Amino acid sequence: MSNKESHVEKIKKASRGLRGTLLESLADEHTLAIREDDRALVKFHGMYLQDDRDRREERAAKRLDRLWAFMVRLRLPGGKLTAEQWKGLHHVAGTYSTGTIKITTRQTVQLHGILKHHARPTHQEFNRVGLDSIAACGDVNRNVLASAHPDVSPIHEEVYQTAVHLSDFMKPKTRAYYEVFVGNEKVAEKVEEDPLYEDRYLPRKFKIAIAIPPQNDVDVFANDCALIAIVENGKLTGYNVGAGGGMGATHGNPATYPRVASLFGYIDKKDLDKVVYEIATVQRDFGNREDRKLARLKYTIDRMGVDAYKAEVEKRSGVKFQPLKPYEFTQRIDSYGWAQNHHGKWFYTAFIENGRVFDDTDNSRLYKTAFYEIAETGKADFRFTCNQNIVISDVDPADKAEIEQILQKYGVTQFTDSASVIRKNAIACVALNTCALALAESQRYLPTLLEKMDPILQKHHLENEEISIRMTGCPNGCARPYIAEIAFIGTSLGRYNMHIGADALGFRCNKLYKESLDEGQILETVDELFGRFVAEREEKESFGDFAFRKILA
Amino acid sequence: MLVEAKKDIFSRLIKEATHDELVWMNGFLAGLLDQGTLSAGRAEAGAAVPTTDTASAQIDKLTLLYASETGNAKSVATKFAAATKKKGIKTKLASVEQYKLTDLAKEKYLLLVISTQGDGEPPITAVKFYNAVHDATLKLDKLQYGVLALGDSSYPLFCQAGEDVDKQLELRGATRKVPLQKCDTDYASYADNWLDAALSLLTDSNEHPEAKPVVKVAKTAGGSHKKIYEGTVVTNFNLNDRDSAKQTHHIEIEAEELVYEPGDALGIVPPNPGHVVEEVLALTEIDPDRSVEWRDQKYTVEELLSAKAQLRYLPERVVRKYAEIADQEIPDTRMSLVDLLKIYPLKNNQEDFAQVLQILEPIAPRLYSISSSPEAHGDEIHITVARDQFYVGEKQETGLCSGYLLDVPVETRLQFYIHPNKGFKLPPEDKDVIMIGPGTGVAPFRSFLFERDAAGAQGRNWLFFGDQHISSDFLYQTEIQSFLDTGVLTEFNGAFSRDQQKKVYVQDKMRERGAELFEWLENGAYVYICGAKEPMSFDVEKALTEIIATQKELSFVEAEKYLDALKEEGRLLKDVY
Repeated sequence: MSNKESHVEKIKKASRGLRGTLLESLADEHTLAIREDDRALVKFHGMYLQDDRDRREERAAKRLDRLWAFMVRLRLPGGKLTAEQWKGLHHVAGTYSTGTIKITTRQTVQLHGILKHHARPTHQEFNRVGLDSIAACGDVNRNVLASAHPDVSPIHEEVYQTAVHLSDFMKPKTRAYYEVFVGNEKVAEKVEEDPLYEDRYLPRKFKIAIAIPPQNDVDVFANDCALIAIVENGKLTGYNVGAGGGMGATHGNPATYPRVASLFGYIDKKDLDKVVYEIATVQRDFGNREDRKLARLKYTIDRMGVDAYKAEVEKRSGVKFQPLKPYEFTQRIDSYGWAQNHHGKWFYTAFIENGRVFDDTDNSRLYKTAFYEIAETGKADFRFTCNQNIVISDVDPADKAEIEQILQKYGVTQFTDSASVIRKNAIACVALNTCALALAESQRYLPTLLEKMDPILQKHHLENEEISIRMTGCPNGCARPYIAEIAFIGTSLGRYNMHIGADALGFRCNKLYKESLDEGQILETVDELFGRFVAEREEKESFGDFAFRKILA
Repeated sequence: MLVEAKKDIFSRLIKEATHDELVWMNGFLAGLLDQGTLSAGRAEAGAAVPTTDTASAQIDKLTLLYASETGNAKSVATKFAAATKKKGIKTKLASVEQYKLTDLAKEKYLLLVISTQGDGEPPITAVKFYNAVHDATLKLDKLQYGVLALGDSSYPLFCQAGEDVDKQLELRGATRKVPLQKCDTDYASYADNWLDAALSLLTDSNEHPEAKPVVKVAKTAGGSHKKIYEGTVVTNFNLNDRDSAKQTHHIEIEAEELVYEPGDALGIVPPNPGHVVEEVLALTEIDPDRSVEWRDQKYTVEELLSAKAQLRYLPERVVRKYAEIADQEIPDTRMSLVDLLKIYPLKNNQEDFAQVLQILEPIAPRLYSISSSPEAHGDEIHITVARDQFYVGEKQETGLCSGYLLDVPVETRLQFYIHPNKGFKLPPEDKDVIMIGPGTGVAPFRSFLFERDAAGAQGRNWLFFGDQHISSDFLYQTEIQSFLDTGVLTEFNGAFSRDQQKKVYVQDKMRERGAELFEWLENGAYVYICGAKEPMSFDVEKALTEIIATQKELSFVEAEKYLDALKEEGRLLKDVY
């Protein structure tokens, strides 16, 4: 196997605990980029080296190198920030990045446009407020998701703490992040022992999500390790556990495909660490290390067989899977506006289009100012949802009016109330201009497309229909497009493959319906499909189920 | 009256001489005849140019001083010293800044090579010396001297510093034995001839009377005798990115039969902006097609105003003359012609203005370090032009020439000349080169690197560059990266002052790498500094001195001596402005 190993495998093994030549790369004075091999390593520390693709041509003509900059993504299990941490994030975003705070589909935030010489000041500021970006990207366990809405269940806090615990428990042991990017530790003389990751880490990224039924806001089946919290008599007893979810595919490579997780069975909560750990070690030992396109756990599990994978996990962990416990999902999207939890605290879920928090002065929507002002009051926390929204959380009844007034003042409630249903259900990935993988526009374009879809929805009287539409700039699946009722997956500038037929709750993948449509063709197709939907749907049938039953059949 | 052989030589000499050389010879002979230095016999024989083979007259020691700005005066003086030493004359060579002024009164024979800067000023290094010779209490009765003045005839006060010093030395009681020679940018042959003459005129006795004050140089009507090229602008774009506070253009000009060397500068006379010319024409109501004679050339009024005469920031001396013509009280300050015409109108507009035209001075040329290499770029010559911004009162203004060049469209024809910079030349190919050039100071080093690359030079190259931001102000970044990739650049350090809280400059980067830098120095590296004189070049020299002191465990003063030795060897070269 070893001589066929992919280049990234070699880089990892030679990296001395993910250090590589990162210190030298940061010190290079002729470029804002880092060295080629370090670009693979920097991901493990929560960063991507990107460049502003809009500026390539112009800068080349000026004999300037590409405008290289880091995207920094935080490790934020369960997606929660204190008011103090929000203020820290706000300042970093204003000082060192483009200014926009981008909420991701994995319940965390990322900042774009951080120049190399600002990397250390950025991480130092994060470190000061107790944040880090360790393992936010790379072939390791990524940010651990947990249902975001504390109002839904009394066990929310316990699940949130479990997400935090799993994140720490599955964190790489190397101190390289602190040596290189925070700069507050001396370079270790010996590479740290890491029984989970060894020196090779995982073959590919590894994602964990915990859903608390009846909410599936985390899209639990899209994860390598899917955990569904089971509550009996008001107490969290354990989890239904599954493995093998994953969204990525490659255009023109039929060996690649999106997949929803297969459920293994139920375990008691005391066995959670052992089981999750061994799901990862089986993938570590059996995963494909030659072709990164086939390295996700979903391919390993299909190659081994679900039962064999499950048996291997049981053998290694000493935990037997029990029969699945019953559970029901009824909702995947966020409920907007105010809600109160079991302890009487208030929560406000704000709609953030494409997860981008910035001051939109053109439309008088000063989200960034609003959230900063709320953080300054110290009377609320911030939680991120997997639908890229923000929950202003844990507000005392006495403080609700003050928070409400701030949300009003800067147009947050107005937009949350007035935005169309279809917009509030939509997700887009970042794509151009920063993502190196993007083949087409996504977050910059989806709002325009939706605006053009509005009259079609009105024509068919579907404007209040909850239909999930997701767009990505490439087939890698960052916005989880393959479990959307309608997905547009970029193939080239201005052209998208259209997928339909996933259900509304995230159990089933959609299928490719039409290839490489331009905007006109998209609108035509949508018009035709909506027409048939209205004419032929069964009562309360979702668009996704209808498409699966009638159109794809 | 000449014998045939001599007549032949004489005819050939005259035939091959340029107009300027003839003028010079004429002046030289006049000077000689006036002094009566020619012996009767020789006079009969008509051997007009004295030779130095009259051993009895040769002096045995000589002090050679130079006051150099760009290094040309230094390079001439150094060459002189080599020649005089070869003749067995004990020669003391020094830059005026290092010369002990109190020694001046003890000197017997002094030759001075001095250049002129800007508006008739001496080089910065010569200010002390210049002031000292203006001191009326100084007595130099024993001194015999000659001054060689370097300058650029495109400037209004051509060789003024040389003229001033020559005159002052005489006023201090010294004897001018060699007539003042004023040289334009093509000084080389004139300088050599002058030295020959000087050595024959300086004698160990005082029996000869003084020389006439000035040998007039070679100044043809309308200006200089250097080669004027006509080229076409083929490229002109801003190297700084959109959000930069700077604007620095890369301009490529195509021209034929270019002759220059890396390190040289390109001289250009910028035309006046069209709206200024129109305003002057409107204010004076003068016929733009009227023909006028100006500095021995015929122009139409419009041509003169557009491309020849300085209209902005007229010097006080011109303002004073204007005041006379306009018959008005005008404060002694620099003003533009348009403002003068508006605030202090002429009484008889057209006639007075014809007089005003005569007092105007030529537009001074601007010099830009050439950033291309003759080896690599063939018929193209490149310059790197930063927007020159300054305040006049509250108003921000752009320099005439940078303003013109930044906007000059592709395909514009323009005239330029090469201003040689003998004191800023690449070393032999096997020598290492350390280049320190922040901002547009990088221009000649781009030329150096392309040249060293094209020549396959084996010596190592190290560039220190600096500016405000790496993201927007890294001039020629991708070219520098290629030089690093191909190994032409061995080392690179970039100091981007505003990318972190504490400002970082090239000298800080040099200090960071002091040990390696010193190793290069000890290994015979040549150090080049280009860019702002103040504060950059001073800070860089200070950093070098400190590095030497630290690495060699010397005191600062001893380290300065090490640096002086480098300068003497020609291994520390500056092109600063």
